[in-house]
Amino acid sequence: MDLILMMKNELMLVFIIVILLVMKVADNGRSSGYWIGVINVLLIVNCIIDWLPVSEGELFGGVYKSYALGNFGKSLLSTGTLLISLFSTDWLKRCQHIAEFYLLMISTLLGMFFMISSGNLLMFYLSLELSTIPLAAMCNFGLTERKSGEAAMKLILSSAFSSCLMLMGISFLYGASGTINFEVLSIIVQETPLYIMGFVLLFVGVAFKLSVVPFHLWTADVYEGAPVPVTAFLSVISKSAMIIVFSFLLYHVFGSLYNSWYLLLYVLSIVTMITGNVFAIRQENMKRFLAFSSITQMGYILVGISGSSAEGVTSSVYFIVVYLFSNIAAFGVISQIAEKSGKETISSYKGLAKHNPFLAWTMAIALFSLAGIPPTAGFFGKIFLLKAGASKGDLFLITIAALNMIVALYYYLRVIRAMFMDENEDSIPVLHSGAPLKVALAICLIGILITGFSGPVYEYIFTLSNGI
Amino acid sequence: MMDASVISFYVISAFLLTFGLMAVTAKKIFRSAIWLLFSLVGIASLYFWMDLQFLAAVQIIVYIGGIVVLIIFSIFLTQDSGSALPRAIKSRKIGAALLSVFGFGIIATLLARTAFVETTTPMDVEMKTIGFKMLSLGGDGYALPFELVSILLLAAMIGCIVIAVKNIPGKP
Repeated sequence: MDLILMMKNELMLVFIIVILLVMKVADNGRSSGYWIGVINVLLIVNCIIDWLPVSEGELFGGVYKSYALGNFGKSLLSTGTLLISLFSTDWLKRCQHIAEFYLLMISTLLGMFFMISSGNLLMFYLSLELSTIPLAAMCNFGLTERKSGEAAMKLILSSAFSSCLMLMGISFLYGASGTINFEVLSIIVQETPLYIMGFVLLFVGVAFKLSVVPFHLWTADVYEGAPVPVTAFLSVISKSAMIIVFSFLLYHVFGSLYNSWYLLLYVLSIVTMITGNVFAIRQENMKRFLAFSSITQMGYILVGISGSSAEGVTSSVYFIVVYLFSNIAAFGVISQIAEKSGKETISSYKGLAKHNPFLAWTMAIALFSLAGIPPTAGFFGKIFLLKAGASKGDLFLITIAALNMIVALYYYLRVIRAMFMDENEDSIPVLHSGAPLKVALAICLIGILITGFSGPVYEYIFTLSNGI
Repeated sequence: MMDASVISFYVISAFLLTFGLMAVTAKKIFRSAIWLLFSLVGIASLYFWMDLQFLAAVQIIVYIGGIVVLIIFSIFLTQDSGSALPRAIKSRKIGAALLSVFGFGIIATLLARTAFVETTTPMDVEMKTIGFKMLSLGGDGYALPFELVSILLLAAMIGCIVIAVKNIPGKP
């Protein structure tokens, strides 16, 4: 019984996978609307079940761990997946393999859940693979487009490369300590060269997933080539999961290597913020633009994590909540516009507010939140990250981060100016969005505003992250 | 100093690395696959050298018998296996070589400077133990990872099928 209750999130996903498989095998030409309806209902049920409280503890002798922050993360990821599924209805109707698309997406999500709950290096590695390999297949879902195939190829090759380095790191850690169990590791790890090297190589694997500079080279191309829902999934869900695992690894398992990884985060966060910003300014394609914007945001999160324990974790998880809602809203608008008019460049967004005020305003609020303008949640997210980063007393890092946030304002406002102020003869005509898209965007908007206005969200996350 | 065991270790390693290098540098993709096969035989012999008969057998059955054959099949099905691959650019070759030497240097110094402690607990590598561990639910068992791998394989298969399947126009 313990097993069913504690692993309910994972079991629910496996259950959905089985249902979809059976339905697909027994399928005799049902309409895409039917599939989408059934799957969305399943995802809603999954989301509700995920938000129910779970007891903390261990299963399988410590191989599987359930902890408060991880469970919060899982519920958040389920919600994000549901939102992405809702806004991509129009794209899915055109898609030839709806069931397979969802099978892959849910397998990926399952991988992330197990990654969050992993209690040893083997589980961590396997679930990382489970959350990457199906994702590469999902990138290829624009089956007739060359770009889409290229994106999948780039993702799978770069992730294979990072997995290699990571496996090497894991073997170093195992060779040095003789164990793969996180609990035991957290006690034995010392600041000796072998442990540090093992940690650094493990970090490379994580950094690839987070697209931290200099491991970001795949990001823009993959984001551009993949279909918009997949891009949103890659950028939001995959990264959020990784951040939670990452903070668990840093504070819980490698806590004693603090001096080493503080230096690592210090350098990488500065490089990441600056590189992301410099490239984001030059982008014309909206998807590439958001790719570099997400790289910059990861840089800010690294600043937050580098701070002291409880605040660092809290501020980064709080930022994930904000980041998830804002980015899904932005991608929702992009997907709608790309799907209905085929346009993806910033210049084609000129005059969007004239005919499509709802889409334009959603986009504007999402971008305001990403830029960190009050009263959207992004403002508070960034304040908390800076505060956590400043707790070490290193003002240089905080100054750089703050300066980068100001530079970032420029390119976010550039899009907003194009949508609201620029005149355009050939502006995008009125687009009729379906109900699921509107619901998804509305939830995102409410999320952005509520997370910003209410203190309890931050305090709630704070109580959760004390356990780490 | 150099007894037969040490010498055979170096011979096996030299064999393994030579064929590994040839697999990476071969100009024809089919030959690459064959050199990879020899390199994997080298790894299997390393297992034999360490007295891990079961692992060695698995290595031969799974990697040499299964995976390399699969690789060869997929080369024949998708690639023009006879033609040579394009040459690598010279500046890249030099950069890659320098980086490899640098990486090797770091790892070698690191391992040389670390004082490893010889383990005192004897290694139990009987097939029976491995089988029990594979299915045990306890702390040192691998039941959950084992199930996770099966889901990974399922997802990978679905992904491959979607990519490879021929779409009949007009049919959903």
